[in-house]
Amino acid sequence: MASARPPPDPVAVLRGHRAAVMDVSFHPSRSLLFSGASDGELRVWDTVRNRTIFSTWAHIGAAGVYSVATNAALGNRVISQGRDGSCKCWEIEEAGLSRKPLFTIRTNSYHFCKVSLTKTPKSVQTDGGDSTEVVNIMALPGEDPSQVELWDLTAVKRVMSLPQSSNSNLAGQTSNQRGMCMAIQAFYTSETQVLNLLSGYEDGSMLWWDFRRPEAPVSSVKFHSEAVLSVAIDNICNGGISGGADNKIFMFSLDQQKSICTVRKEIELERPGIAGAAIRPDNKIAASAGWDHRLRVYNYRKGNALALLKYHSGSSNAVTFSDDCRQMASCSEDTTVALWELYPPKDRI
Amino acid sequence: MNDKERAELENLALQKVAEVSSAIDAARHVDEVICALHSLAALIFSVDSSLVSGAVDQRFKDQILSAKCATDSERGSFRNNFYYGSAFPTMARLLLFEVAPNWLTQFPKSVRSQIYDQFFLEGPSIGVLEELIPILNKKGSDKDPVHDKICSSVERLLVLCYLKKEGIRQMVIEFDLVEKQKGVAVKKDDKNSVSRVAQLLASIPDKIRPQASSKLSSFSFFKEATIQLIAGAEEKSMQLPSVCDTIEKDSPQNYAIFFVGETFSRIIRRGSTDIVVSEMVPRIYDLVKSLLLSYSNASLPSVMESTPKFWFWLYLVETMRDQYSIERLAEGILRQLASRAVTDTEAYWILWLLFNRSYNHTGTIRAMFVDKFILWKVFPVSCLRWILQYSIFEVAPTMEGHVKWQKPPHFVDTLQHLVTIWSKREFVQSSSVEQQAYLTAAVGLCLEKMSKQELETAKDVLSLILQGVSCRLESPIDLVRKMASAIALTFSKAVDPKNPLYLDDNHSDVVDWEFEVLTQKKVIITTSSRKQFINKPKTPLQEKSRENLGDKEAQKSILIEEISDKGVEEDEKDHDSDSSSDTSLEPYDLSDDDSDLNKTFTQLADIVAALRKPDDPDGVERALDAVEKLVRASPDELHHNSSDIVRALVHVRCADVAAEGEEESSEEKRHKALVSLLVTCPFESLDVVTKLLYSSSVDISQRILIIDVMTEAALELSETKIITKEQQRKGNLITSTSQPWFRPGDRGPVGAGPWREVSGPGTSMLQNWSHQYERELPSRPGQRKLGKTRKWSAANSKDLQQEWSKNRFPMYAAAFMLPAMQGFDKKRHGVDLLNRDFVVLGKLIYMLGVCMKCIAMHPEASALAPALLDMIRSRDVSHHPEAYVRRSVLFAASCILVALHPSYVASALIEGNQDISTGLEWIRIYSLHVAESDPDTECASMAMNCLQLHSEIALETSRALESADRMKAQSRTLPSKLDNIIIPFANMN
Repeated sequence: MASARPPPDPVAVLRGHRAAVMDVSFHPSRSLLFSGASDGELRVWDTVRNRTIFSTWAHIGAAGVYSVATNAALGNRVISQGRDGSCKCWEIEEAGLSRKPLFTIRTNSYHFCKVSLTKTPKSVQTDGGDSTEVVNIMALPGEDPSQVELWDLTAVKRVMSLPQSSNSNLAGQTSNQRGMCMAIQAFYTSETQVLNLLSGYEDGSMLWWDFRRPEAPVSSVKFHSEAVLSVAIDNICNGGISGGADNKIFMFSLDQQKSICTVRKEIELERPGIAGAAIRPDNKIAASAGWDHRLRVYNYRKGNALALLKYHSGSSNAVTFSDDCRQMASCSEDTTVALWELYPPKDRI
Repeated sequence: MNDKERAELENLALQKVAEVSSAIDAARHVDEVICALHSLAALIFSVDSSLVSGAVDQRFKDQILSAKCATDSERGSFRNNFYYGSAFPTMARLLLFEVAPNWLTQFPKSVRSQIYDQFFLEGPSIGVLEELIPILNKKGSDKDPVHDKICSSVERLLVLCYLKKEGIRQMVIEFDLVEKQKGVAVKKDDKNSVSRVAQLLASIPDKIRPQASSKLSSFSFFKEATIQLIAGAEEKSMQLPSVCDTIEKDSPQNYAIFFVGETFSRIIRRGSTDIVVSEMVPRIYDLVKSLLLSYSNASLPSVMESTPKFWFWLYLVETMRDQYSIERLAEGILRQLASRAVTDTEAYWILWLLFNRSYNHTGTIRAMFVDKFILWKVFPVSCLRWILQYSIFEVAPTMEGHVKWQKPPHFVDTLQHLVTIWSKREFVQSSSVEQQAYLTAAVGLCLEKMSKQELETAKDVLSLILQGVSCRLESPIDLVRKMASAIALTFSKAVDPKNPLYLDDNHSDVVDWEFEVLTQKKVIITTSSRKQFINKPKTPLQEKSRENLGDKEAQKSILIEEISDKGVEEDEKDHDSDSSSDTSLEPYDLSDDDSDLNKTFTQLADIVAALRKPDDPDGVERALDAVEKLVRASPDELHHNSSDIVRALVHVRCADVAAEGEEESSEEKRHKALVSLLVTCPFESLDVVTKLLYSSSVDISQRILIIDVMTEAALELSETKIITKEQQRKGNLITSTSQPWFRPGDRGPVGAGPWREVSGPGTSMLQNWSHQYERELPSRPGQRKLGKTRKWSAANSKDLQQEWSKNRFPMYAAAFMLPAMQGFDKKRHGVDLLNRDFVVLGKLIYMLGVCMKCIAMHPEASALAPALLDMIRSRDVSHHPEAYVRRSVLFAASCILVALHPSYVASALIEGNQDISTGLEWIRIYSLHVAESDPDTECASMAMNCLQLHSEIALETSRALESADRMKAQSRTLPSKLDNIIIPFANMN
């Protein structure tokens, strides 16, 4: 297209990690960014000054930190997941993180799936103060990688595992066919505020679970032809985006009454492999991080491509948006974290 | 008139001559001579007596005026007897030997013309000529004034009789008069006398003295003679009997034409073909052109044969007996016609007019056209067309095109003969490029006339053409391959006009038979073009059919369409969907390429691994992309990995790996990568490369690759390209006017004076190899004058040498050259450099030459030169049948000459080092031999260059030797004690 501008460059590049950066996450309210690298280092960055303000060896082991998660419900804490079979929760202090984790969960899982904190719909958030009522649940695959475990973070105990091991025989068979769980996204439905969960599997299928009926998934779809690698849900929890090892990105919508998951938009890519996906809290744009080093930005509503960001010189591992919608962060095998400012929301300018 | 009367008259004439003779002998005064001559002249021709008498004394005036004047009839008979009897020769001798030296200078001009010149002017041209020319033959001493006077008189008479009075034209006509006066002129009735006269006439310019009139010089005399001969012959042929076939060839009627032919052949023998031709061609051209306007092709022969104007031309060649001059004449006419831009039809009829009679009857003329002019000579292509049209197609070219043309019976035989020679490998190897192009054009033009059936029935033609094409396609010389593809195209067109075969990428439907060498102008091949040629990397014959190319283009255009379609779709979608919000979300440029994705190789070991996996073409390609950059970074582990990479690179198959159409670029990457390896770690890489060069595991293209890579690496290591080096070198040569190398440079402040050599101070013992120079320098602002000049000497001018020391190549030169020179002549499995793989051999020698050049002026050059000389001196190499190899040898030889420092040569001579001196002498002899006798013009011109370089180095060496001798001589004269003590600047103060 003739009128097209050249794609923008990152506004800042955060260097300092000595190994591939596996995951990034913004602090829900402060201008902080957490990043975890595959050598086990967890860093805290100041996104105003673009400096590292704290660094710790969070997970010692061959694969290091695998995932970092923050959440408004979690408050001033950050969860780090490592490939050493544990998840750790850190208190965020003035000078960085607590020296020791608040608690450590032994998951004994050594797989490729990132943890998911529960996403709360915007309406619920804005409704106000009874958020403490909501149980803070973290989802991650368990010792059996085809199973998803739900943990209550306030009580620090396992609540449930899906599919339930009690009726294992039949479900186990089907789950074995699906293979390992590769991506999870937990969320509360907007009306009923029931904990729901989407899980993607090695064979490309996606299951939709309802917390109230854990014996069987409410819906099962198979968009991808290969393993699902990332699932993201929008801020009203009515739809989402998924990427996989094949060369497709799907935007789907969730009909919560009928419990149907339908494809809204199918995007075909030149090169396969979407390791991470995210939707901006204002639901305007979505982004994906690809094995082909590129970040892709889409108009979330229409599904058309908006930008192709070529900065990273290694496979991109994750992408995330800040809660104020102003920044986007991406991380890559090339040991850098890039900060972007794309399509800044109008009302705030 | 009976015999008796005639005898009486003749006696009378002789008597008169005797009287005149005695009168002249007795004469004391010039007037007496005039009187005596006048008395005879008045009997023979009318003399204006008053004019003569006006110039003499009174007492002789009466005698002259009273002299008896004969009547016209008396005069006629007396004159006949005078000129055709023995009286005239006697009189002529008297006039020339007695009058001319003693009296003639005293004759007044008018008298001289009346009673002296007139004797010769009135006489028969032939007889006069026979009297005059022998006199010129007589040898007199150079300073003999008598002889000088006689000769100048003869020369004056020649100009008068034959040039001013058109005596030559007269002679042509007179040959027939001989018949009419039968009995009188006995001796002129056989052909030998005709040719003797022709000989006399043509020999005039040879016999005249150098100071003679310029009108008698060969150029102007022959020009004038030709004009007169043609005019006379044309006039004469009008008088011939009306039916031209009735003329007998040997009858005296034909003597006139015979005489013209004889004279022409003598003029041609004397090397003045151009003069004859340039007079003949315009006349014939006009004649033929006027005929062509009014007659059709079919009626032309009969019209020509029945028109007297044409007879002379029809018979001329037939009467010429000298085969050589006919050949020269034909050649000259063809070239002249080519330069006049004559149409094919006109040329055909001109040839027909001149040669048709003899062509049909005489085998030698036919052989001249068919054999000599096609196989041995080289004409411009237009001439070739005419020759073929006339001698092989034997039909006038027509505008109508496809008129049914009956091929002459020997057409196919001739074609077969041509093709047989054309297809021979020896012909390709041993004949010059022009000759090859010429014969190729001949074969091609003949093939154009053939149809499919004829080609099938003609035995051997098909197989011979295939053989010729294939042996040309193997040639390393581009032009030769082009010839092969031209013939292949023509042949395929003859077989199937709808399906032409293109062996070339940049083809056109119309074959250019000139091949850029058969044009009118002689193209002088410069040395620079040679270098370009020899530098060009040779890719072994890329043959692509047109279909492939077309497909590729089509694919490309389809791709473009698809892309643009996509863009439109997206636009439409944008418009279709609700545009309620998100208007701010304007997309960025979404174009993408995967250039950044490919730079994934960061380890040399990975590259080696990737290159060894031919089943992963993408990986190989990316490895090729990355390898040069990585190697140039020269990481520490390069020395351990380099041999592996080199081996992998040499063996990788680019053609299989690369996408279609991109073979070149991946080849180039491989090439560059290898060069970078050779440059960054030469010893390790060279070890592998030189082993692979003669290994049976690589094929020819890989061998060529190795050699090319070594060449480029050598150039890069030396850090100066050949061209710049040559310029530097030129500074030393006698051909250049720039200052010699040992002088300090001109750099310096503005206003500096010129350099002067400082003569040896005092005892001159310092005047040895280190020249000293000084010059005036303007003082710098603020500089205090110390009253001294700054001094420079060769030892001080280190900065000049600095430029050479940047050359890193010399330390590796031996590693480059010596292993490559080993075993080139051994025939092993798959390796046969001397015969089959001569292209490799040529490239190898070229590479060695470049290496030599890169170590020019370094001590290594003198160490390595003998080895290289040894190699190129071997007979198999230096006299290789392929010109390509010989060119390389000459290149290497000239590189050696350029590379050797004269002082090394001098010291080698002093020390008695045989290798260098015999080698250089061999170069000289070899170049001489090539320059003289090599069929390849390129070789010959390279040999000339080589000779020049040799003479230059010889000169430089002799200078060096001289100065060495002088130094020796000087040191001998020194007192022995001072030998050890050298006081610098001893006489400064």
